[in-house]
Order: sequence, then structure tokens, then C-alpha cells
Amino acid sequence: MTDTTAGPGKSSLSTLDPRTRKRNAAEKRFRAYGIAAIAVSLLFLAILLGTIIRNGLPAFQQSFITLPVLLDEAKLDKNGNRDPADLAKVTTFGYGPLIDKALQAHVVSLGIDSRFTKPKEFNALLSSSAAAEIRDYVLANPDSIGTTVEFNLLAASRVDGYLKGRVSRDSVARDKSIDAEHLDLVDALRDDGTIRKGFNWDFITGADASESRPEQAGMGVAMLGSFFMMLVVLALSLPIGVAASIYLEEFAAKNWLNDLIEVNISNLAAVPSIVFGILGLAVFIQFAHLPQSAPLVGGLVLTLMTLPTIIIATRASLKAVPPSIRDAALGVGASKMQTVFHHVLPLAMPGILTGTIIGLAQALGETAPLLLIGMVGYIASNYPTSIAEGFLNPNSAMPAQIYEWAKRADPAYYERAWGGIIVLLLFLMAMNIIAILLRRKFERRW
Amino acid sequence: MKDMLIEERAAMEDVKISARDVNVWYGDNHAIKDVSVEIADKTVTAFIGPSGCGKSTFLRCINRMNDTIDVARVEGTITLDGQDIYDPKVDPVQLRAMVGMVFQKPNPFPKSIYDNIAYGPRIHGLAKNKAELDDIVENSLRRGAIWNEVKDRLNEPGTGLSGGQQQRLCIARAIATEPEVLLMDEPCSALDPIATAQVEELIDELRASYSVIIVTHSMQQAARVSQRTAFFHLGSLVEYGQTDSIFTNPDDPRTESYITGRIG
Repeated sequence: MTDTTAGPGKSSLSTLDPRTRKRNAAEKRFRAYGIAAIAVSLLFLAILLGTIIRNGLPAFQQSFITLPVLLDEAKLDKNGNRDPADLAKVTTFGYGPLIDKALQAHVVSLGIDSRFTKPKEFNALLSSSAAAEIRDYVLANPDSIGTTVEFNLLAASRVDGYLKGRVSRDSVARDKSIDAEHLDLVDALRDDGTIRKGFNWDFITGADASESRPEQAGMGVAMLGSFFMMLVVLALSLPIGVAASIYLEEFAAKNWLNDLIEVNISNLAAVPSIVFGILGLAVFIQFAHLPQSAPLVGGLVLTLMTLPTIIIATRASLKAVPPSIRDAALGVGASKMQTVFHHVLPLAMPGILTGTIIGLAQALGETAPLLLIGMVGYIASNYPTSIAEGFLNPNSAMPAQIYEWAKRADPAYYERAWGGIIVLLLFLMAMNIIAILLRRKFERRW
Repeated sequence: MKDMLIEERAAMEDVKISARDVNVWYGDNHAIKDVSVEIADKTVTAFIGPSGCGKSTFLRCINRMNDTIDVARVEGTITLDGQDIYDPKVDPVQLRAMVGMVFQKPNPFPKSIYDNIAYGPRIHGLAKNKAELDDIVENSLRRGAIWNEVKDRLNEPGTGLSGGQQQRLCIARAIATEPEVLLMDEPCSALDPIATAQVEELIDELRASYSVIIVTHSMQQAARVSQRTAFFHLGSLVEYGQTDSIFTNPDDPRTESYITGRIG
């Protein structure tokens, strides 16, 4: 009957009693803590993203030198009959002088003053991949021999670094591969438009390159390695994980054995990934003799790692389906399996898919187990030519490639490591967006 | 003793379900104690009693829904048309097609109204083609007294209906598999008075074709819809007889206490 919040004695509703005031103050304080916590985490997120973008974006830009090169018949095809076998005999060493000469001629034709007189001295401006690029062009178009063709060649990583501000005149003083006069030349060529920065598709589609030519290195092949690994993970962990969860959740009797299994699955989810790596090394490579460094093995190891995540997520979403739906189905005479597959599973689908994609995203970003099965390092410079090769040929994966780049001495590789992280994060973001969309699409109310 | 049972049986119109010395344990909890009861065909039988008296548990024994609970253990015999439903040869799935059930909370499938009704006939192969299935759906919805309300929106989700409509949809769904017995576990406890009245009217109509067993908390409802009433207390069947006589002239003092509101 009586209002007890006013406490003993009469008090006005318009004045706050001390208890209420204290309670309100506590509530305000708690809200302030919450806002502060969120602000701090947003700040850290902003710092993280800012750093990644600032360090990584330059990797998507690369300096190119536009250069007309005379494809000298005397050097490239002595017999003059365009025989492919003869053309192939000329190695990249045969092309080097052509390019150097072309660059020198170009510099002279622009009227740029330079102390360099020998063609070889211009070599420092160009990537050592240039010769291979022109050779590939000539082999594909033998008719171009004898003509002058304009090429868009990669600049050397020092030149690229100078244009991006990574290499300064001070640092060049200690550098054997390039000196200050080269930089003067670069300045002149940049003003002329011969050297310019462009979007670096090769970084996204290319293969890793050797230590000495970071300007050529790309993520493409490692991306394919990751892709084939994810195919293995998806094809194995989704059916196994969902089947195991359905059995444990809907069919298995509640006894100590199943409790033990449940506890151990939860424990497996917490096992460090490197443990799975060494298990994979012992079982798949040393015992089963599967090929080393192959995406198939990487996928198998990551499947072991992903299974607990998928099982836990699937069981949680099966549990979340209201029992009244099961009663309804059993009540009209559906069998246990019909109940599960016609009613429970469709309702649990959004949760299962979300769990699967989160598990896959986790696997996509995993590095440690890959180190142990050899999926790291400069091991694949070409695209696999068939699907079987994709699974079985040695390859790397995106995070392992990033780790490899970060390890290398050249600062140009450091930049690429950051760039690689942007690519990886974009993939993870895409997967999360897919997870959200799938959940939206399949979500139903009951 | 035996003679008396036979006489009693003869007195009943037509026995559909007969339970003999049924005991149910949930783990160590003895939920149903020696219940023997005979339920007539084409009659509404009400199970009443205070919360936790075992009336729902006993109801769930009749279509073996207790099988789905790991710790539940059922002893004794229950026969449907003279066949022991707990015989190892009996498949509970087949039994449940003959003994339909309506639950306390309306639980339509999150599918279209049409699919809600069609699901049972589909899995039991009751329709040869789409036209037959359409007929079954229409007939079931008509007998569920909801056809006029939903006939224009059969493809809309069943979960979009009001609570009372959902419950009638669930009743129609139970009818669609052509059961012989209809079990209802407090079918009106989640409904408002108007929806309750509609469902009660429907139950009365269903009596013509089925043996209906309804568990209810409301004594008024038992009095309104049932011809026979069983009063359960603490897991035992205390009294069973004509609804009129249970409410006007109970034999057992516990029944009297319950219907006059002293226990429960």
C-alpha cells in the first residue's frame, strides 16, 4: 500500500533523499566508465588502423619507368629467322645491356645532364626484373624484334623508396647499390614524367620475389595458397563439425563419456595453434608422407584447429532452437532425424554459418602451424597450373608470406609486409560481411 | 476386483485408451504412482489437479513423448485399441501419428501456414499428389475452425498469426495426420478469453471424431468442455468419473478440497 522508497518520515518528492542521490551518482559513474572504456578501445582501433594504412598503402603504389627500348636484332636473333628455340637461347643477361643502353639514350635525348657515361651505370635505376619482362615480351611477340617498343618497367626498389620518401640522400651515402647522382637523375626523370608512380597490380597478383628485388614481390601466389587451404578446411571442417555437433547435441545420451568428449572439445579450442602445427608435421608429413609445404597439408592442420570452433558454435546454435519446435515436429510423428533435419537445422543455420566463417577467418590468419609444415619462405614463384598442383605443390599462405617479408632485411619488404596485412584484413573483413549477410538472410523469428 | 473392472468397462461407451498401473520416474522422482484409467472414444476427458500433480506427465505417456527425456522411465501398460503402446515392437513415431498432440504454448513451425499443415501428411505419405495435399490442408484448417481466417494467406508464415489463431493452427496441424486421439496440454493457458472460447468450442466439435484428452489448470474449463474428469494429486489419480458428478458430488475429500479452492 505505502510507498517504501520515501523511507521513514515524510519527505517531498521534489527533493532527492540521500539514498536516491547516491544511487543516481553510482549509475552516472558506471555509465562514465563504460563510455571511457569504449572510447579507449576506439582510440586503439583508430591507432591500429591508422598505422596499418599509413605503413601499408605505399606498397600498393610502385614506381615505373616508361622507356622505349630498341629490340636489337643483332643481339636477340643473330640468325634472323625468328626461330623460337634460338630466341629462347638468349638469356636475361643478353637483354640487360639493351635496357641500359636504352635508358642512357633516353636520358641523353631528354637533354639531362649526367656524369654517367657508361650504360651499365644507369642499371641502378631499373629493377633487375626488367630484363625478364622484356624477354617474355619478345618470346611472345617475335615480330617485334628490330623495332623500338615502349615498356613500362619496374624501377629499382631504392628509386621507388626515394620517391616514397623511404630512402633519403643520407641513407644513400651508405648504400652500395645506388648513389646521390642517381637520385639527381631520378629527380630529373620524375620531372619529365619518365618515372612515375602507378597502382601496383603486381603486388596483388604477383609471386614472391628474391631478397634482392622487393619491387617485384607480390601476394598473388600466396593468396592462391590460402585459397586452396581454405577449400580444404571448408570441405572437411564444415561437414565433420556439423555432423559431430548434431550427434552430440541431439542424439547422444547424456552420460559421462559424452560429457568428457564435450569438455575435451572445449579444451581443444584453447590449444595453441603451434601444437596443431607440430602434430601435422608428425602425422601428415612424417607418418603419412604427404608433400611438404602443400596447401593440402596446411588445410588439414587448420581443419584440426577449426573443428572445435565450428563444433562449439554449431552446438550453441542448435541449443538455441526452442525445444517447442522439436516437440511440435515429434508431436506430428516426425522421426528424430526428420525433426533435426527439417526443423532444427534450418533454424540453427545462421549460427552455424557464422561460426563456420569465423572459424575460417581464424584459420586464414593463422601463421604458426604453417611455419612447422614448411609453408613459409620463398617457395613458389609461379602460379599452379592445375587444381591438383594448387593442392599439392609447395606454396605459402598470406600470413606466412607477411611473416616472411617482415623478416627480410630490405625496408622495401617491411613496407610490403604492411601492405600484405591490409590485403589480409580486407579478406577477413569480406568474410565477416558475408557472415553478417548470411545471418540476416537466414534469420527467422519464431 | 477383476469383475468389477469388466463391468465398469462395459458401462463405458467404447474404451479407446486403457492404462494399467502406470508409474513414471524422472530420475529418482516418482512422478506418477500406480495410475489406472480408461478413456472413452469420442469423448472429451479432462485431467485436472494442482501444479506438479503429474497430469501433464501422464498425458505425455500416451504418445510416448516422455521417451525423448533421457531420465524418464515408464512402467505399467497403456493400450490403444487393445494394443500395448509400450510394446518393443511399437515405433513411437508411428504411434504419434495416431495420437496427435497440442502443446501449452502455440508452436507453429516457422514456415508458411500451408507447410505447417502439410508437413505431417507429407512425412507420412498421406497425399499422392498436390491436389490431395491441398484438400488435406483445407479440410484440416476447416476442422481447426481457422480456414476462413487464413484461406487468403496460406503462404504467409504461421508465426505471424495471433496467439489464438496459432493454437488453432496447431490443432489443425495435429488433425492433418488423421489421428484417433488428440492430446491437449493446457492448450488455452497462453490465450486470452476470446481465443480460449474459440478453442473450447473447437474442442467440443472435435469430440465427434476423436477421443480428446485435455490437461487444464482451469476447473471451469474442465467443467465446460469435458464429459469425464480425472483429478490427479501428488502423482496419483484420486478420482475419475463423469464431470458432473466430480464437480457436484466428489467422493474423495481431496477432490472436494481442490474444487472448492482449498488446495492447488
